[in-house]
Formats: sequence, structure tokens, C-alpha cells
Amino acid sequence: MSKEDQAKGVARSAMVPSRRNVLRAGLSLATLPVLNVIAPRAYAQSAAATTVQGFETGANVAQAEQEGAVVFYTHDSGAAAAAICDAFHKDFPKITARYVSLQNGSLFSKILAERGASRYEADVIQFSDLGTAIDFQSKGGYEQYHSPQQKYYSPDHLSTPAGLYFWIAMGFAGIGYCTDQVKAAEAPATWKDLLDPKWKGKISVKQANSGMQFTEWYELRKLYGKDYWKTFAQQKPRGFNSRVQVFDRLARGDDAICGMAEWAGYQLAREKKAPVAFVAPKDGLPSSPMANGIVSKAPHPQAARLFIDWLMSLKGQVFYQENPYLYYGSIRKDAPSMPGGLRLNDFKLLVPTDMKAFLASRSEFNSEWNQMLGLL
Amino acid sequence: MATSVFKSRRSAISGIAVTAVIGLFVLYPIFFLLQAALKQGDGTVEGSTGYGTGNFERLPNYSGIIWNTLEVSIVATLIAIIVGFLIAYILTRTNVPFRRGLEQLMAVPYYVTPLLGALAWSLLGEPHSGYINILWRALGGEGSIVNVTSAMGIAWVMALFEGSVAFVMISAVMQSIDPSLEEASQVIGAGRFSTMMRITLPLVAPGVLGALIYVFAEMLGSFSAALVLGTPSRFYVLTTAIYLMVTQYPPRIPLAAAMGVVLFAVMFLMTYLYRRMISGRSYVTVSGKAFRPRPVDVGGLRWVYLLLVGAYIFLAVVLPMLTLAYVSLQKLATALPSWSNFTFEHYRVALSQNAVRYAIFNSLELGVITATIGVALTGTISWLLHRTRLPGRAALEYISMFPQAVPRLVFAFGIMWAWLVLPVPVYGTIWLLLIAYLTVFLPLGVRTISSVLLQLDKTLDECGQVCGASWSQRLRTINIPLLRPGIMAAWMLLFIGSVRELGASILLVGPNSQVLTPAIVDAWNFSSSELTAAMALIQTLVVGIFIAIFTMLMRRRDLKG
Repeated sequence: MSKEDQAKGVARSAMVPSRRNVLRAGLSLATLPVLNVIAPRAYAQSAAATTVQGFETGANVAQAEQEGAVVFYTHDSGAAAAAICDAFHKDFPKITARYVSLQNGSLFSKILAERGASRYEADVIQFSDLGTAIDFQSKGGYEQYHSPQQKYYSPDHLSTPAGLYFWIAMGFAGIGYCTDQVKAAEAPATWKDLLDPKWKGKISVKQANSGMQFTEWYELRKLYGKDYWKTFAQQKPRGFNSRVQVFDRLARGDDAICGMAEWAGYQLAREKKAPVAFVAPKDGLPSSPMANGIVSKAPHPQAARLFIDWLMSLKGQVFYQENPYLYYGSIRKDAPSMPGGLRLNDFKLLVPTDMKAFLASRSEFNSEWNQMLGLL
Repeated sequence: MATSVFKSRRSAISGIAVTAVIGLFVLYPIFFLLQAALKQGDGTVEGSTGYGTGNFERLPNYSGIIWNTLEVSIVATLIAIIVGFLIAYILTRTNVPFRRGLEQLMAVPYYVTPLLGALAWSLLGEPHSGYINILWRALGGEGSIVNVTSAMGIAWVMALFEGSVAFVMISAVMQSIDPSLEEASQVIGAGRFSTMMRITLPLVAPGVLGALIYVFAEMLGSFSAALVLGTPSRFYVLTTAIYLMVTQYPPRIPLAAAMGVVLFAVMFLMTYLYRRMISGRSYVTVSGKAFRPRPVDVGGLRWVYLLLVGAYIFLAVVLPMLTLAYVSLQKLATALPSWSNFTFEHYRVALSQNAVRYAIFNSLELGVITATIGVALTGTISWLLHRTRLPGRAALEYISMFPQAVPRLVFAFGIMWAWLVLPVPVYGTIWLLLIAYLTVFLPLGVRTISSVLLQLDKTLDECGQVCGASWSQRLRTINIPLLRPGIMAAWMLLFIGSVRELGASILLVGPNSQVLTPAIVDAWNFSSSELTAAMALIQTLVVGIFIAIFTMLMRRRDLKG
């Protein structure tokens, strides 16, 4: 059985994510959003590049090694951040990579408080959604750096103007269910199936602090109208903090269905042979890009460039795809398949295209979602 | 006359020094919190649109959450105090068998990270997948026999793991009671229960009250049990609501700060009541008359007591630990064991992570430093409160109780803002965590040492003074030896509290100052229950070994002495 077949086998869905289906759906990663706030762009000129450890960098490597350290602020888990830092350090033993890991909102508060007090501790920062990155950009938070790696990315997947941040990875979500509780034939196949009253009190989602959850709310509301979430609220869903928690609960049968099952969480559960299955609804899978860039006034500017180039390189992107604490999809043009044999563009991904409307709807989402989960 | 002047000058100097430290550690971050609570707008540093009381006006919308918080806090406090008092009485005042071993085991729930207890009980008592309920159904029962995701279930788990401090605080006080007082009661015909209620309980009243206030405040600020067990049943308390507010984008810090500030009022009231209750009464049990603590022979009742303590230890220590050990050895946590599911991989992963090894070292180092400095600081404060006539000492007591009233996650924001703007290079280092720990554990140290201090007769110190002993001689030869149980209990509590601290650490860890408990929570959030169980058991083992070595060294020192 090929990797692709294996993946198809476990992704029991109304729409098994094959290339043909994706083509039929008419939307693939190649045509991922052109942000309507963005004017047509060309790549800006990259810094003079040298090749080191098999990838091109615009950093002065000797100087970066002299700086000796890079500090990475990330919304991702400590285990993921530690793994990234260790992998980078392995390639560049003279540079110690350290990290701060916090949930997206707290990370944003921390970096703003530090900058407000003229303290510059972070070199590179990664946010879980574009909204936070755009806000940080509007506050002058990023240092512009045109990485030689930019050519491997569509201009749509870089900041406007380019060089401030890039889409380091893509998270996406479908529907998950516990195979001990729900037969494949009865499992929800579409997003609208989640509204069936038989699932009342049996569905999990994520809390409002999830950028991915915000994207799902935005995209499904666009597809099915505002009433979709109002009806969904009647199902009395339970909200959790992380993809691991929702899949752990699915595996134990505490919840029958997960209304926002992230692919990365599913991969981890599948590895443990947990009784869970993933459904890719034919209308598409809400997807949230993560944004990564160099912080202005970074204390280790050359090490920060080297780190960003490494993250953007094929090596860094493969690491993001294959590390069990990450398991994200790479948006890089020449990225290999993800574990399981699938690529990002094997799925019909729903990414916000109108960033103005997307950002403006955040407070409405927070309010509706908190209310729905009983938090007000 | 000259001595009196010197004494008051020394008190004044100590008072000023301590007030300055407390001011810097407590009031300065609180100033930032108050400022944040009054901020309007979206709550980001640059998104503020001025000041007002809007955040406080919004609080009635959260009356359901406030009620939930009070409900679980009151129930958990009552369970913790009643159980803590009874077990402290049994282990310190009676001749129950295996006393020393039971005492050691009773400390275990306190040094277990509360998240670990909550995780263990969620595996045991979830309505659907809890092992107890699976067993119940296998035996022919229907539905679930236990539901730890209910308000009462959450209160039960909070009492077991976050209320275990009540036992440590109360037993420290009970050890200082002269048994002749209880014996006298029994000689004149009072029964054992009557003696316990009419002699023992009033004598330990300051300790019990201190523990009650501390535990109630601890419950108000409790986080892990409510997060792990409450979220699945959509049951939120203030701390979980605050956590979700500050982790959202944009973070709603002003509203979270307003919720935290409201808890000041509760703490004010509790401290006021405490002061009222202990003022004008004497709780002296340690006087010039020598006594040797000796247990009362309770006859056959000792086996009933053993059974009671054993049942508690089984529920609070043995069952959760076994559950976690079982889960940590499985690839995927399931109720029924199978060889193909067995693995040591989670321990290998936990111990192979550089970050974890580094964090264990940092946590232990911080624990020792926090406990040592904390005992000196809180001992001085207790002394100033109860042994001097320092003007403003009532205010000092209120201020030192403040950190207990504010959920640590919120207080951490105040500390972060406060120390970011000071031109002292502590931000982002391990020293900021030390400052945070010293601040948030101030009430614990003050309460523990004060309780013992109140039992110490002032005349002992005065005798030394009359005999010509200097202040330092009296401190070294009279007061510290008599206060030893309280000081040792406070040291241990501060050490363990620091090692398992979570709320403040989450925000304040920097790239050079990772500590263990946030790493465990991180594993729960992003890795797996199985890895989390392995990491938490490693933490418990490391702390257990450390405490065993410490206790052994202290005993050896005692024997030499």
C-alpha cells in the first residue's frame, strides 16, 4: 500500500482528497488567495546570497556565528519550539537558539509590552494567524529582510510589502470522529451535517484563542451564512485549548465528533493508532497560515536572517511538515509530500481572501464564540 | 531606656526595609494592574482609549462565572480544612500506627503539580471514559458512578491537591501544643472528642484560621483542576475565564485585570475577619514550662484512624499516582492493558529533551533560593506583625496578603509591566521568576510562620533579655529553635510551591529561564496525556527525592544537636 493509499484509507470522507477531486473543486493551493488589500507585487531584490548547509542565505554567516544566539518567540508549543531550535543549532553549532513559547494573545501582549519599554529580546517571531501579524506590522514590529528563499514562495504568501513576514506553514481542519462511537456511514460528511440534532452535546471545537478556529468560523459563515453558527450553537459544543486535547477526547470517546479537527492533530492521533477518522468535507477545509518574520531592532540581526532563511529553506519546511509537534503543511512551491503522502494542494483549502473583512470580523467572532461556549 | 530606644530603632529600620521590599514587590505591580483594569478600549498597549470604570461595569455579565468560582472554592475549602484538621490531629496528637510514614505520604499531594492530580482524576472519573466508570459498567452498573467534571467533582479534586496545604499548615501548629493541656482535660472527665473540640481546636485556632483564609484564596486562584475538568462540561471559573481572555487575540487584559482586582475585596474581608478573630486573645501554647510533644493513646480507635488516613492517602496519592504511572507506560491511554500498547518511550522522550533537563535544574534552583530568602523575608514580616508595635503593621499584613487574592496569571502581567520599565537587568532572566515567586508566596510564608509565632510566649524572649542576652543571641538560642517547626514547614511549603508554580511562570519565563511546570502544561496541551503523565511523574519523583534528602539532613542535624 502506498503512502497516499494509506492516507486515503484513514481519511474516510465524503470527499477523499485526491488530485482529481481538487481539480474538480476548482481551487488549489496554486490559486490560494490574492489578498485584496495587496497590490500586485513582484519579488523585491534579495540580499546577496551565499550557500551554507545546502541552502541560500542572505545573512553574513560569520557575523551570525559571532552573535552566537538567536531568540525565537512563537505561539507554538515549547516542545515544537525546542525541536526547531535544536535542529537549527545542529546545523549551526556556534549559534545557540532559544525560545519563548506562549499562546498567540499572550505572545502579542508580551512583545508589545517589551517594545513599549524599549526592551528588545526577540529576534524572530511567529504568530498563529495573519491578523496578529498584520497588527504587529502596523505597529512597526518587523524588520524588512528580502530572503533569497523568497523566490520559492508565491508573492501572495509573503507580507505586503514583501520581506516583513512570510507564510511559514499552513494549518487546516476538517471534521474528526471517534470510530468506536460513530460508524463511518453515519459520520458527518459535510459541514452542514454537524447541525444534525443527534450530535447535540457530543461535539468538540476549539476556544476563541485559536486562530484556526477563527478562520473556520469566518469561512463557514461565508459559505453558509450567519445562521450556520447560530444553529451550531444549539448543539452545545465544548471548547478546548489544543488540537491534542480534542483528539485525546475523541480517542477516549468522551466526544463523538470534533467540529474543528486539525490535520496536524489527526496525524499525531493516527500515529498512536487512536480510533479516530478524518473527514475532508467537499466544500473545503478552512486553513490558517502562520506568519513568521524578523523583529525590528532584533538583538542578533544576522543570526535572525540565517534562522529565517533556514526556516524558509526546504530543510526547514520539511522539518515543519514532519516533526510530530508541528505536522503543518508547507506552502513552499517545491515542498515534498506531508507524512501520509499527501500535499497541501491535494486538499481544497479555504483561506480568507478579503483580509480587511477578515480582520474586521474578529471581535464579532470572539463575542459569538465565547457566548456559544458559555464563556460570554 | 537605651535598650528600648535601640529596640524601637531596630524595629523601625526593619520595618522600613521590609515595607520598601513589600512595596516594590507587591504594590508596584498592583499599581500597573489597577491601571490596566481602568483602561478602556481593546486592551492592547497601544489600543487604549483612555480610562474609566467600564471593565468593572461589565463584571455583572459574568455573575454565573463568579458564582461558579465561589461555589467550588467554598466547598473545596471546607473539605480541605475539615480533612486537613482531622488528619493533622490524628497524625500529630494520637498514637496512630505508621505515623511517620503516613506523614510523609500526606505531603505528596502538595508537591504534586495540581495539573497532575486533575489529569489523573479526569482519567479516573470522566463520565464516559473514566476507569472507575468503566469498571462500574463492567460490573453491571449503568451510566456513571463518578463525575469529576461536575462542580462537586472539581471541588473534590481541588481539595485533594490544592487544599493539601491545609494539613501542612495545621499540623505545624499542632506540633507545638503542650499535651498536658489535653491530658488535663481528660483527667477532669472530658471525652476524646470533647477534648479535641474544646481544647485542641481553640488552641490551634490561629493556625486553622490562617489555613482557612489561605486555602480559600488558593481555591479562588485555582486553575488546573477547573481547566482540565471544568472545560469539558462548559463549567468556567474566574481563573479559566481570565486565562482564555488573555490568550485570545486581541487579549482582553483590562477585563481580566478588573476580575483580578475584584478579588482584592474578598481578600480584604477575609484578612479583616482573621485579624478580628485573633485580636485580644492569647493562643500561647509554648511557654517557659518545658514539654515534650507526645501522642495521646487512643486505644483501639487508632486502627479506625489508620483506616481514615489510609483511605485519604489512597484517594489522593496512591490511586492518582498508579493511574498516571499506568498511563505513562502506554502508547495510547486505554482502560484495559495490553502488551502491544506498553512502552517506555514517553520517559525517553521526556528525559531526552534538553529543555526539560534544563528546566528541572532551574526549578530546583529557584525552589531552594525562593524558600531560603522567602523564609527570612516572611519571618521578618511575621515578627514585625506580632512582636513589635510598629506603626502601620496592620497595613503591612493586608499588603502581604494581596498577592493571594489575585490570580497569578493576572499578577504576572503586573510583574511583567513593572519590571520591564525598571532599569534593573532582571527581565527575561531567572531572577524575575525569583521575584515573582517571592511575591506570590508571601502570604503562604507569613501565614505559616505567624501561626507558630502566635503560640510562642513573649516572656521567653523577655527572660533572655533580663538575663542579658543580646537580640541576636536570643534569636539564635530561644526564638529560632522554638519557631523551628514553623520555619521548616514554611521553607518546605515555599520550596514545593515554587517548583510546582504555574500561573506566574507561564508568562514570565524567558529564553534563558525555562522551568518545569509550564513545560508539563505545554505537553498536556500539545503532545499527549501519556507524555504529560511521564513528565509530571518525573517532576514528582525529583521533588520527592529532594525532600527526602532534605528531611534526612535535618533529622541528622537534630540528632547531632
